[in-house]
Amino acid sequence: MFTTPRLIAIALCAALNFAVGAVVYLVKLPIYMESIGTILCAMLIFPDRWAAFVCALIAGLASVAVIGLLVNPFLPWFSLTVLAIALISAFVTATGDGVYRARPPQLLAFVVRVVLFGVLTGVVAAIVSAPVVAYLFGGVTGSGSAFLVAFFLKTGETLMRSVLWSGLTADPIDKVLQVLIAALLFRATPAEFIAMVRGVPAKA
Amino acid sequence: MTPNGAVLFVVILIVAAMLADLPGLVVICAVAAAFAVLETRENAWSALRRAALLVLPLAAFMLAIWVGLIGKSPLEIESGLPGSRTSALLYVATVSLRLFLIVFVLQAVLLCFADESPFSVIRSLRAPLGVKRLLVLTLSLIETLRHAVGRSHMALVASGVITRRLSLRNLGHGWILIQSVWLTAITTVLGRLRDKWPAENTLALLEPALAQQERPMCARDRVWHLVALAAALFVFGRLILGTA
Repeated sequence: MFTTPRLIAIALCAALNFAVGAVVYLVKLPIYMESIGTILCAMLIFPDRWAAFVCALIAGLASVAVIGLLVNPFLPWFSLTVLAIALISAFVTATGDGVYRARPPQLLAFVVRVVLFGVLTGVVAAIVSAPVVAYLFGGVTGSGSAFLVAFFLKTGETLMRSVLWSGLTADPIDKVLQVLIAALLFRATPAEFIAMVRGVPAKA
Repeated sequence: MTPNGAVLFVVILIVAAMLADLPGLVVICAVAAAFAVLETRENAWSALRRAALLVLPLAAFMLAIWVGLIGKSPLEIESGLPGSRTSALLYVATVSLRLFLIVFVLQAVLLCFADESPFSVIRSLRAPLGVKRLLVLTLSLIETLRHAVGRSHMALVASGVITRRLSLRNLGHGWILIQSVWLTAITTVLGRLRDKWPAENTLALLEPALAQQERPMCARDRVWHLVALAAALFVFGRLILGTA
């Protein structure tokens, strides 16, 4: 499962998760984008789904460990969310690999898959991360979604339900963007590298 | 303190902090402060500053939301009680102190090894070889990607594709920067895999280099573990008494 090119792909995707944070900071966009490398890792290693899942999970956890130590110490608490994203990416999102790399592009099929898989990833991520956001952060993580939490709390919902509703509102949008960028990067990746990672002969 | 001892110390304190109430957090805070003064020494201020910089804005935000907007604690909301701003303030203090402790302990421990290179710290960890190899490769590629981000950002700003400040153009073209960074990294990695590493025999040399020099825990580690365990026992004791 862990051939040298796959190990390099895992490290590269973990490093991408780290670097995208720097890019988001440079272009000053109000988004997170912390899982692009994890999703991309699953796409690179698919169709071996279990290998794709394990490698995407390791890439996600490695980036969480490094980012947790160097930049954001709160990120490691979302390790279960990383597991959920790796699972969805390997078993669902990566199934669109033919459409993502189709030449000429199949625009409608591409958009449908990105939106569908992004929303699914967002919903799962919101459900899994809700207990962490509610208990560790008291529902307030410093992002704009805290106002959504406050709104739901004001309407009489419990903290857990408020965090969950807020996550279900904000996460799908963020994850659709992440799946979109991962799919575009996968499309741009040289066939030679993908063949090396998958352990198959390169297609022209 | 050794890196292996530091990992265990951090784990004990963070688990305890996660379960602690306000008095428990104060005890853990005392242990963390003692550790910072005795082990982190002159870098303790850096750890404190970094923890404060990360947690204070979050605490202020929490204060505005919980005390300013909502005006009662989650427990009062769940039990349907009228609630008060004082209990909301107590809730924010507990959550903020817990977050502060987590960041501070991590920073204080990390800064104990400020004089060592990441490679030597990873090498001395008692972890599977595969994990160490992955960490070293990830750190090395992070550097590659950071250089790629700087260069690509400058090139795209100079060519007018993106701007330095927040703009609509960045929203539409920001992903080109990510694509540019990714392609630079892939090209570098392909070159290393195909030509550079086989010529240098890098991967074969990395394994024995990482396998050597695992540093076993020392007596100083054991003392700090005992102190951390005592704090954790205090927290668990309060937890059990509180439940009973």
